[in-house]
Amino acid sequence: MLRNYFKIALRHLQKNKLYTLINLLGLATGITGCLLIGIYIWHELSYDRMHDKGDRIVRVTWEYNFGDAETKTAMTGTRVGPEFSRRFPETEAYVRLLKYPRVLALEDKMFEEKNFLYADSTFFSVFSFPLLEGSPATALDGPDKLVITQAMARKYFGDQSPVGKSLKVGGQKDFLITGIAADVPENSQIQFDFVVSFSNLRASKEEKWSEANYVTYLLLNDKASIEPLQAKIENYMKEVNREELKLEGNNYMTYHLEPLTEVHLHAQQDGFEPNSNITYIYVLAAVALLILLIACVNYTNLSTAQSAGRSAEIGMRKVLGAGKRDIFYQFISEAFLLSLIAVVVALLIALMLLPHFNQLAGKELQREVLVAPYTLLALVVLSVLVAFLAGAYPAFVLSSGKVIRILKSGFSFTGAAGLRQALIVFQFSISIFLIIATIVILQQLAYLQSKELGYNKNQVLVLPMDYAMLEQYDQLKAALAAVPGVISAGGAYEEPTHIDWSDGLTSGEDGKRITVNALPVDEDLVNTLGLEIIAGEPYTLGDIQQADPLKWGDTLRYTYMLNEAAVKALGWTPEEAVGKRVAKGREGIVRAVVKDFHFRPLHEPIAPLVIFMDKRLTVNLFLKINSENTAATLNNLAQTWKERVAHRPFEYQFLDENYAALYKAEQSMAGVFTTFSTVAILLACLGLFALTAYAMVRRTKEIGIRKVLGATVADILTLVSKDFIKLVIIAIFIATPLALFAVHRWLESFTYKIDVEWWVFIAASLLTLLIAVVTICLQALKTALNNPVKNLRTE
Amino acid sequence: MIKLNGIYKWYQSGINRNFVLKDINLNIEEGAFISLMGPSGSGKSTLLNIIGMLDEPSEGEYLFLDQSVFAMKERQRKELYKQYIGFVFQSYHLIDELTVYENIEAPLLYQGVKSSERRSMVADMLDRFSIVGKKDLFPNQLSGGQQQLVGIVRALIAKPKLILADEPTGNLNSAQGDEIMQLFQQLNREDGVTILQATHSEKNAAYGHRTIHLLDGQIQHQHVPL
Repeated sequence: MLRNYFKIALRHLQKNKLYTLINLLGLATGITGCLLIGIYIWHELSYDRMHDKGDRIVRVTWEYNFGDAETKTAMTGTRVGPEFSRRFPETEAYVRLLKYPRVLALEDKMFEEKNFLYADSTFFSVFSFPLLEGSPATALDGPDKLVITQAMARKYFGDQSPVGKSLKVGGQKDFLITGIAADVPENSQIQFDFVVSFSNLRASKEEKWSEANYVTYLLLNDKASIEPLQAKIENYMKEVNREELKLEGNNYMTYHLEPLTEVHLHAQQDGFEPNSNITYIYVLAAVALLILLIACVNYTNLSTAQSAGRSAEIGMRKVLGAGKRDIFYQFISEAFLLSLIAVVVALLIALMLLPHFNQLAGKELQREVLVAPYTLLALVVLSVLVAFLAGAYPAFVLSSGKVIRILKSGFSFTGAAGLRQALIVFQFSISIFLIIATIVILQQLAYLQSKELGYNKNQVLVLPMDYAMLEQYDQLKAALAAVPGVISAGGAYEEPTHIDWSDGLTSGEDGKRITVNALPVDEDLVNTLGLEIIAGEPYTLGDIQQADPLKWGDTLRYTYMLNEAAVKALGWTPEEAVGKRVAKGREGIVRAVVKDFHFRPLHEPIAPLVIFMDKRLTVNLFLKINSENTAATLNNLAQTWKERVAHRPFEYQFLDENYAALYKAEQSMAGVFTTFSTVAILLACLGLFALTAYAMVRRTKEIGIRKVLGATVADILTLVSKDFIKLVIIAIFIATPLALFAVHRWLESFTYKIDVEWWVFIAASLLTLLIAVVTICLQALKTALNNPVKNLRTE
Repeated sequence: MIKLNGIYKWYQSGINRNFVLKDINLNIEEGAFISLMGPSGSGKSTLLNIIGMLDEPSEGEYLFLDQSVFAMKERQRKELYKQYIGFVFQSYHLIDELTVYENIEAPLLYQGVKSSERRSMVADMLDRFSIVGKKDLFPNQLSGGQQQLVGIVRALIAKPKLILADEPTGNLNSAQGDEIMQLFQQLNREDGVTILQATHSEKNAAYGHRTIHLLDGQIQHQHVPL
């Protein structure tokens, strides 16, 4: 029987090639979207699930208020791990991690390695990063030991085994390689190429609550311990605040525990890498589902529309003894066959599109995932689901008709016509919604890219440097600045695109303390980045001498610059601020006030910032270059660098590109929305196209008669498009308020954002209408232009 | 075999009832060959459909093999129908997407006949009616007469006791029509199949044992040809 169903289904699909093609195309597109988004979501949900003890690992985050604002960060001091382990029996082990770029060298090979991790010796026993060689217990049990990944072993040592050999770190010290770790999967929040012992850090010698530069993880004895331990920690920290830190008034600090597996999607604070967001996952899932629904709606609409042509068959089958159920199964198997074919086509398309999708979504998903057994199983389930979603209604309607009525007059789908209209409205509502969302996202992104940031990010090179270059800092900078094409050079700790350093600043006048971000700079940075001084003057020769990095200890003085927000927080005007004494560790005078600039992503308002001169902390050199012959300039810079810096390769980035990378999440969202709203509108139009085709067939005679009575082609087009256009207009009225609500919600996450303008809605509506009208007319024109005599004769 | 007592069929239109059948009382014995005549709209098809259990009367009693048809459950009725009744239509109503072979096989599928049994039953019929050579053709590749032949074979495949034919020769030329009529006669004589046909043609009606004349939903008179 089943074979029989499929045979008939196949013949039907072959016979109605246009409908089959449209249905297949639609379903395949919908399923492809689902599939790609599906594996993306699966990948996101699989984050950090590779650890055997993963359900017992928590990340510790720090919440504090030192005077003016509550601050939360995933960074903690060195004390948290050891102290909690000693004090709370629920804690089995702790791991503190610091990621810090280092230059590694093996003979003449030299690279700057960004994924260089300092970790406590428990690292490999708490986390399940498998060691291919070496023992988890001893690989990091002392200083100067190094574990490298398989990929890095290949990079430095080729086919030779690196265990027992050593690598020079930072141009100074040899580290013994004690193990090889498997390459870290992409869906891990902890990424590393190299791990060395935490005891190599000077900071490890002392336990401090402050100087929060480390991510701390705890391994608990039981996953149920999280809540009781959280409560204990809060109590304990109250004691610490009172007894040990002597915090008063509103000042306090405490720690929170987050399950490891929830960090990636649910945590507010980024750790080593930007987190994703569960909302984003929901939005994507919704988009995928909507696309699939649109495709299913096309199928439902076309099947019911087409069913008139099948009334004779169904009626006859009933006369021959077929029951309701037989007919229902027959039509469902037809839908199933089609959806099965669509799934296969979708799988092929997805395999083909995966690289593009990766680019769009900023992922590195592998093709293997698409053909993995569970994916295939999911696809079979999906095809059944689609078959029922798309085929159940037509199958139900077709199977439940009264034989005698079907045989006499065919199907009269009064109910189905209403449903068809509702479904068209539904499809176009989704399309218009997505179009509006896309326009707004693109506008906001363009705004972010073009927003005046208060500093100049174009034509600025970023060169990473380190402590070992300090002695020749000024000479190197001068040499680089002298390269033709370089306009100026300046150094700082972090990039102005995102300053994370959080600190406290105390007024030397009244002792008022505020929370600030802090940026150590050299004397040329303000000029190089084009920061605008609105009061005071640039750093003087005296300031420079005071901050000479080679003079240690007491003779080193800080000279400060504040931004407008900091001045305001301290209760001064810019003019008043100049010359005042402030302290961030060391006391110094305020030399100047700079105009506010955006040193954090535009989600956040501009916070108080203190700039202070300390070249010792310079990690990045910024070179402003002119736009002529950039290649030659880069070449010359590399040459100069090689002559002077032996222990570091010449590596550079462009500041504007680093800025753009801040909005990677938004950019991939824009990409996804653009793609899928295009797909949605195309699918909706495909459905409209087919329905018009069907309506034309049905109305051939009517149109013939109307033409004989004197109707023009335009009259005919109006006649047939009127009904559909009405539906699109209803869709516009449904989608617009929903879209307005949604984009406002999204824009709320930005402090700096565009105003949504009314023309966006008009444009989206007109665009949709235009596409719909063109679609209908393309199809209708054919009939409208036909010779009416011919139409009538064939009828 | 069939007993109709006071069968009425009407359609409500506003407050009026439009009667299609009025007080039909009829007895059909097993092995009869009966022709139903009357102008268009006289209720022939409706009567056939009611007897064929495709339609229900508004009022009245219908006994099939002494069982009250409309007192039965739908499922029982369906079983009765599948077992005993075959339909032949004026416009053949072959399923376009199925081959001759598959069209003939279709009723067996719905009766749950096993595949091997189906094959031999269909093969027998193809052989008996000399259409083996046409078994893989689709309906649109056949002439009208051939299509109706397939329609009749399909009605016969499940060995029904009653064949209901609604103007079976209406779309055929007279030569083809005669062949079909002779076939009916042969089935009736040799296999003892009860036949009830609706027809416009006196000539075709004459093949039957008895002719019933319908007008405006009522039986005008019956006559038995000499």
